[in-house]
Amino acid sequence: MASETEGGKARKVKPEELLETQKDLAAGYISLEDLRRAGNLPPDDIVEKGLPVPIFDCLENIPCTPCHDVCPTGAVVMESMIDKPKVIWEKCTGCTLCAQACPGLAITIVYPKFGEKRLKGKRPDAEKLWLVSIPYELLPIPKKGEKVRVYDRGHRYLCDGEVYTVIKSPRFGTVLVNVLVPGECAFEAKYVEVMRE
Amino acid sequence: MSPISGLVDRRIYEHPILKFDRGRRVRIIFEGREIPAYENETIAAALYAAGILHFNYSGRLKRPRGPFCMIGKCSQCMMRVNGVPHVRTCITLVEDGMIVEREDTHEATLPTPTKKMKIEYVNKDYDIVVVGAGPAGLSAAMEAAKLGAKVAVLDQNPFLGGQLIKQTHKFFGTKDSYAGTRGVDIAKMLVDEIKDYENIDIYPAAQVIGYYRREGVMVAFQSLRLAEYRVLRLKGKRYVIATGAMERSLVFPGNDLPGVMGAGAAQTLMNVFGIRPADEVLIIGAGNVGVIIAYQAAQAGIKVKAVIDILPKTAAYLVHASKIRRMGIPVLMRHTIREAYGKGRVEGAVIYEVDEKFRPIPGSEKDLEVDGVWMAVGLTPSVELLELMGAKLKFVRELGGYVPLRTEYLETTLDGVFVAGDATGIEEASTAMMEGKIAGISAAFSLGYKSDEAEKERLKAIKWLDEFRSSPHYARIKEGVKKVLITK
Repeated sequence: MASETEGGKARKVKPEELLETQKDLAAGYISLEDLRRAGNLPPDDIVEKGLPVPIFDCLENIPCTPCHDVCPTGAVVMESMIDKPKVIWEKCTGCTLCAQACPGLAITIVYPKFGEKRLKGKRPDAEKLWLVSIPYELLPIPKKGEKVRVYDRGHRYLCDGEVYTVIKSPRFGTVLVNVLVPGECAFEAKYVEVMRE
Repeated sequence: MSPISGLVDRRIYEHPILKFDRGRRVRIIFEGREIPAYENETIAAALYAAGILHFNYSGRLKRPRGPFCMIGKCSQCMMRVNGVPHVRTCITLVEDGMIVEREDTHEATLPTPTKKMKIEYVNKDYDIVVVGAGPAGLSAAMEAAKLGAKVAVLDQNPFLGGQLIKQTHKFFGTKDSYAGTRGVDIAKMLVDEIKDYENIDIYPAAQVIGYYRREGVMVAFQSLRLAEYRVLRLKGKRYVIATGAMERSLVFPGNDLPGVMGAGAAQTLMNVFGIRPADEVLIIGAGNVGVIIAYQAAQAGIKVKAVIDILPKTAAYLVHASKIRRMGIPVLMRHTIREAYGKGRVEGAVIYEVDEKFRPIPGSEKDLEVDGVWMAVGLTPSVELLELMGAKLKFVRELGGYVPLRTEYLETTLDGVFVAGDATGIEEASTAMMEGKIAGISAAFSLGYKSDEAEKERLKAIKWLDEFRSSPHYARIKEGVKKVLITK
């Protein structure tokens, strides 16, 4: 049914068109550059060592402390409830508890060089694969071994990934999808979509 | 989806977070047609599940109307049920064989009940009467009961827990405010806990209809089943008013079309009853409520075409907004709605962009095909009861409208009448729980109940609120609260 408006007949829009608008914080889009500027990306030597790194898409002083409360090693520092979480990179063991607890589903954990360390000899592309742990609370839940489409923070398609494991947090109910992706997309990977029909 | 058909079933059977306990299958008769329903559904939910969105006709122009708020506040869901006019179908549970008819709001006729009406009168005295069984009311009741007070809790909804019962996301805040726990689970914990108190009487489905200042008696009308009522005359030595808030609407052509509703109403259908109110929606308002509900719509299998907001910058927590951006839900700032259109129900909406002075930009109109338009444009504190009781109110923009003047311990200008939760100003469920604690403890203290532990709890809650509100997100609230703070 057409609609008459002051500006004449309004144009029907395709959903994809709307996605291209306004990629900035004002419209809820966080860029990798925003994270870098805020100090939320790990220094090179940590990544070089292959230590697990939690990426906090958390840039505001909001009253929220679960990540700090659950961290068993004190790697997430917060002085008052409205502080932004600060990560002590060396202390993180990659246990994922913060990613399970985060109400904003804002934390992904990147395991640099995961393939090189854990999958060598098991598959030919092992060397280039890193693991990313992505919180997920939608349906359908990805399955182990399944191919998924991996997206960045603005739903830009990055690469295909392979689901390594899927863990449902017994305490928080959030699902963590652990997905193998080429190392170069690991820090940008923030969302997965199941390809099943 | 056909607008009326007994064959449509819009219930959700698989959800990533929720399980729906619908209870026994029953049936209701809607205008001669049999509609399947479940005993834990309200009439409005059962109709929505069957794809029926048109509940009544407007008084003057006889336009089709449907529910807006789904929590018993807006009156747009009223229908004639078993011969009783003006039944709020969104808070009335179905009963097998119930006869439900659309009504003409202005031309409803006297009741012709199909069953003989039973009315029982109850007169009772309490230390504290709490109105509202949401996070604030439940917390207030429990804190007061812990101290030994005899407490009554009333709520107009058949379910306890207020708006917590529809929050699928884990809560922000700290350990003291159940952070990391989902709202639905917090509701369960509170409701389970309150049932353990022998000194708390709970009256669900009870709507306050009067307050007699001289006698200090509150009168409520409780519906046990349709045509079986109780008139409650409760005399409280103290009152805690925790009546929550109501969603706001926007003015635009077609805003009364069935399918155009408050975002919270859609949330009730999706998350309390497990019903998809629409397949494709436009959400107006990109604050926390708008973006959270966009995510919840995706959880319910609903496509969100866009979330729009007239402001240049989202007021939502960035974590909530970025969560929907990465999923590919468009967030369009500086956009608003021109109209919703459709025959008998919403079939589409035209949106447009505005410039920095909020003037429409010519040629920017976009037509979206949607079968739902959900408004997340803020809330207004529900202060009608406080007004009726005689508490002094003040308009405070930062708090969402008229709110009661109150002390640090949340006592209003009326001695012995306390407030808590969104009725004090629009905030969060976590702050509502803290305010509930403060009000409940203070009400009990004023009756002579005492404990050092409670005194510590109250101080802690006051400090907690202060720290919570020191977030830049709540700077306005802090300012607002200053404007209504009084000392006694």
